[in-house]
Amino acid sequence: MTDQGPGADKNSNRQEVFISPTGAPMNVVQMAEGPQPQDFEVSLESLNQWQIAWRRFKRHRLAVVGTGIFGVMILLAIFGPIIWPYDRLALKPVTHSGGNPPGWMQNPRTLADPFGTDNGGRSVFILTVNGARLSMLIGIGTTVIAVTIGVVVGSFAGFFGGRIDGLLMRFVDFMLTIPFLFVILVMARFFGAGDPIVLTLIFGLLFWPGLARLVRALFLSLREQDFVQAARAVGVSDTRITFRHILPNALGPIIVSATLLVASAIVTEAFVSFLNFGLKATDLSWGNALASSQQYQIVGNWWWAFFPGMAIALTVTAINFMGDGLRDALDPRSRE
Amino acid sequence: MIKFIIRRSLGLVPLLLLVVVFSFLLMKAAPGGPEAQFQGNKKISQVQIDAWLKRWCLQPTDANTPILEQVGNYFVEFGGWFGILNCNRSGSQAFFSDSGGLNVLPPALGGGSNGVIHGDLGYGIQSGRPVTEIIAERIPATFILAFTALVLWVSIAIVLGVYAAIHRYSLFDQTVTFLSYIFYSLPTFWLGLNLIFIFGVALRWFPTGGIITTRDWSPFNTPQYWQQFGANPGAATLDIGRHLFLPVLTLVAVNIAGDSRFVRASMLESINQDYVRTARAKGLRNRVVVGKHALRNAMLPVVTNVALEIPFLFSGAIVTETIFNWPGMGRLFIDSIGGKDYFVIMGLLLVTAIITLFANLIADVVYAIVDPRIRYD
Amino acid sequence: MTGSILPVDDDVATRSAGRPLLEVRDLRTYFHVMDGVVRAVDGISFSIMAGETLGIVGESGCGKSVTSLSIMRLLDMPPAEIPSGEILFEGRDLLTMPDEEMRKVRGNDIAMIFQEPMTSLNPVFTVGDQIAEAVILHQGLSKKAAWDKAIESLKAVGINNPERRVKQYPHELSGGMRQRVMIAMALSCDPKLLIADEPTTALDVTIQAQILELIRTVQDRTGAALMLITHDLGVVAETVKDVVVMYAGRIVEEGSVEEVLLAPKHPYTEGLLGSIPSRGKRGERLNVIRGTVPNPFNMPPGCNFAPRCPYAFEPCTQADPRIGDANPPDVACWLYTATATSPTPPRVRPRLDLVEALG
Repeated sequence: MTDQGPGADKNSNRQEVFISPTGAPMNVVQMAEGPQPQDFEVSLESLNQWQIAWRRFKRHRLAVVGTGIFGVMILLAIFGPIIWPYDRLALKPVTHSGGNPPGWMQNPRTLADPFGTDNGGRSVFILTVNGARLSMLIGIGTTVIAVTIGVVVGSFAGFFGGRIDGLLMRFVDFMLTIPFLFVILVMARFFGAGDPIVLTLIFGLLFWPGLARLVRALFLSLREQDFVQAARAVGVSDTRITFRHILPNALGPIIVSATLLVASAIVTEAFVSFLNFGLKATDLSWGNALASSQQYQIVGNWWWAFFPGMAIALTVTAINFMGDGLRDALDPRSRE
Repeated sequence: MIKFIIRRSLGLVPLLLLVVVFSFLLMKAAPGGPEAQFQGNKKISQVQIDAWLKRWCLQPTDANTPILEQVGNYFVEFGGWFGILNCNRSGSQAFFSDSGGLNVLPPALGGGSNGVIHGDLGYGIQSGRPVTEIIAERIPATFILAFTALVLWVSIAIVLGVYAAIHRYSLFDQTVTFLSYIFYSLPTFWLGLNLIFIFGVALRWFPTGGIITTRDWSPFNTPQYWQQFGANPGAATLDIGRHLFLPVLTLVAVNIAGDSRFVRASMLESINQDYVRTARAKGLRNRVVVGKHALRNAMLPVVTNVALEIPFLFSGAIVTETIFNWPGMGRLFIDSIGGKDYFVIMGLLLVTAIITLFANLIADVVYAIVDPRIRYD
Repeated sequence: MTGSILPVDDDVATRSAGRPLLEVRDLRTYFHVMDGVVRAVDGISFSIMAGETLGIVGESGCGKSVTSLSIMRLLDMPPAEIPSGEILFEGRDLLTMPDEEMRKVRGNDIAMIFQEPMTSLNPVFTVGDQIAEAVILHQGLSKKAAWDKAIESLKAVGINNPERRVKQYPHELSGGMRQRVMIAMALSCDPKLLIADEPTTALDVTIQAQILELIRTVQDRTGAALMLITHDLGVVAETVKDVVVMYAGRIVEEGSVEEVLLAPKHPYTEGLLGSIPSRGKRGERLNVIRGTVPNPFNMPPGCNFAPRCPYAFEPCTQADPRIGDANPPDVACWLYTATATSPTPPRVRPRLDLVEALG
């Protein structure tokens, strides 16, 4: 009984039972007499739900490309700072106001300063490569915190309902009422102290309400599904129902929104640091890399903002493509 | 209908109170505090500062103050900030105004004049002017930018989304889908910076920032400016329009992406409904089937979605106004955080929260009007 | 064609004199989906004379609804494709007709009633709006006249207080009431053919009988031909004269209701009849059809029904029987060929209880 629930739901197309034409409830007894012809074997290879999801994901070409780009960015975050360390940053004499243009703009064959330098003569390329690590860490760290809080709050509200649900959801409503970016900026400025860990905590504490609402909705609908009712009817405990029956089925949508959370955390960090309310100038992130670029944009120093921003844009696009593929693969009902 | 609106509005009151408490706590928890900021400002006299501290019941607190007293001070300060207490009086008399009525009541009923409940949001630490005045003068600029962008992006998104849904999987649909993915993912501030470089610096087609050309006009939203505006409305509008172009383009590009996908999904869902098949089976022209039966239903969630986007206009304003040096509320907010201007920050938090709640209310009401299935009794 | 909603039965005789009103010849409807091609309808032929009634019966997924949607040309192409076949309506092929002409046939000459009354009406327009718009379109009536006609047709399907109902939205009506509205809408332009696709499946049992009765009486009064699609043999017995049994996109048996219900020839028909519980036969075992409908991407070789058929013998797994191959020609089964040696054709107790309804 316990294992029939989720499986029956996912493979319903293959487990169709013949229903009497009148649809009337009846005591179905197999025909015992007569010649028994061999049962016709359906030769569709049997796939479990993760294999099916993987097949669907592979069909989403942009998602596969996105995963590739994201993988490269992760590798860059891990190994980039080793190959092109920040220590090796030799400050170049600044020839233009606000920094030197990329070397190839003068001589197409040079590899020097491929992204130009900032107003202090720091290579934007090295800033970008070294910024990947903190940006990624803050993005992923925020998501871990937010998903943990969101799942706990959402499943509490969704599973117990009643007064606990009312209370928690009023709080979520309230969190969604205060303009998110306002609070992030205020908290980052007053409590952030330029520390990446504190910043991650602040983000995590502010990013969860949307996820809690999603998890609650999933719980509310899954709770009413037949397989959960069936499990309850045979006396399965609440904890077991939650962990064995509901959470596994809610996992798809949760993974999808967690993926998208990483992207928005990276962008938010970049904006906060860009405004100089985020990390200390000595910590390198993509946002910090373009922090003072705005005033020099007007004199034509496009490279300073362009390349670190491009890294953010690429990563975020890649993650969003990935999230879309995951949605197709894990949560097909939510599509169109 | 009126009853429905009143009931929904009353439901918002507790949320609003929570926001007031939250903004107060956020500011009190911040290191420093308004007192220190006031003291550091040479433009304001000590007498004035003392009067203000009294007005919001701000209690002198330092590290030596016992915890219990500090907590007590919090309540007193909140009472003053909210407008329940009147610190011109002491002890239990503080609940009453100078004229003798309960302080929390409106002045006409003998109440006091201090605190949020009386529309008093405090004084700006940098400028020394009332916060309500500081915020009010920034509203027009934000309003012009936000609503020009909103109207443009919603109408374009509807056209694109509906067309893409009708011609699903066509080249047009795939292009729109692909581009919206890209634009949806671009960080707004970075897109803005690049547009400044391309159109403002390299091509010199549009100004790179500000709302007006400062050498031709008096500062925006001053009486002198409106005088000049009245004298030459055509040139003034054109000037604002030129300055509007890049920030609006930024907001539109980013927001069309999400909204056109929303409209497309909504329209696709509607097109696949049984009632659309019924309409087709009746022999109606395709134009009527799509434009009447499918579109009308598809627009229901879109209307709600647009109303719910209004609060994000102000988050968007923070980003675009910063990048384009636009003298609106977002810019004010960033400047106030930079200068730790507590009262202005608290005021802006409140104003935006009210706008958010109001937008939610509008969304409910509009939905109840356009969908006959929703009853408002 | 203007005039009252329930015209006198004047031209039925002339209509039915010549060829069939609707003739479907070797219709194939395929769906191109991610995993391959589904042959939802795979070469079926049947016809309906003017004013006559035909039932199409089969399990869900056998292609009966796709058949009706193909006739109305309401399938999205792609993914659907009609690679071959003709659908002749009054001698004209609906499949090759220009869109604009086909549009004039829909709702006007052929009207359709769908399975789900709860979702088949547009929730944001009033009932009157939705009936009147077809009348305005096809009959060129003024808005006022069309509205009167809407009230009239609501009255004709037995809705009380039609003047009030016509101004209501679908959500204010019950399921049975909505299906009456659908019928009123279908009849509002006096169609020559009425297609009812599982019109009672979504309704309560008590309402089902009323709606069937209503369809029968309006069919009788208007003289429209009726094509009734259902999985319920009981419904067929009560409502139509001829019947076609479909299995996996094919017709496996056809004939008059009496023939099919009293002396089913195809083992599948036999199974369908055997799985209906009969009144007054308590404690008796039901003979259900074993197994499931074959996977559409992986049809068995030979006869589609062979894997489930209790009488299957060698030829069944080798060649594919079609209507006309056997003797009598109205069944697609190798049991009925001259060469057939072994198993005896099915012997099933005639379902007199179902046929009672025929009188």
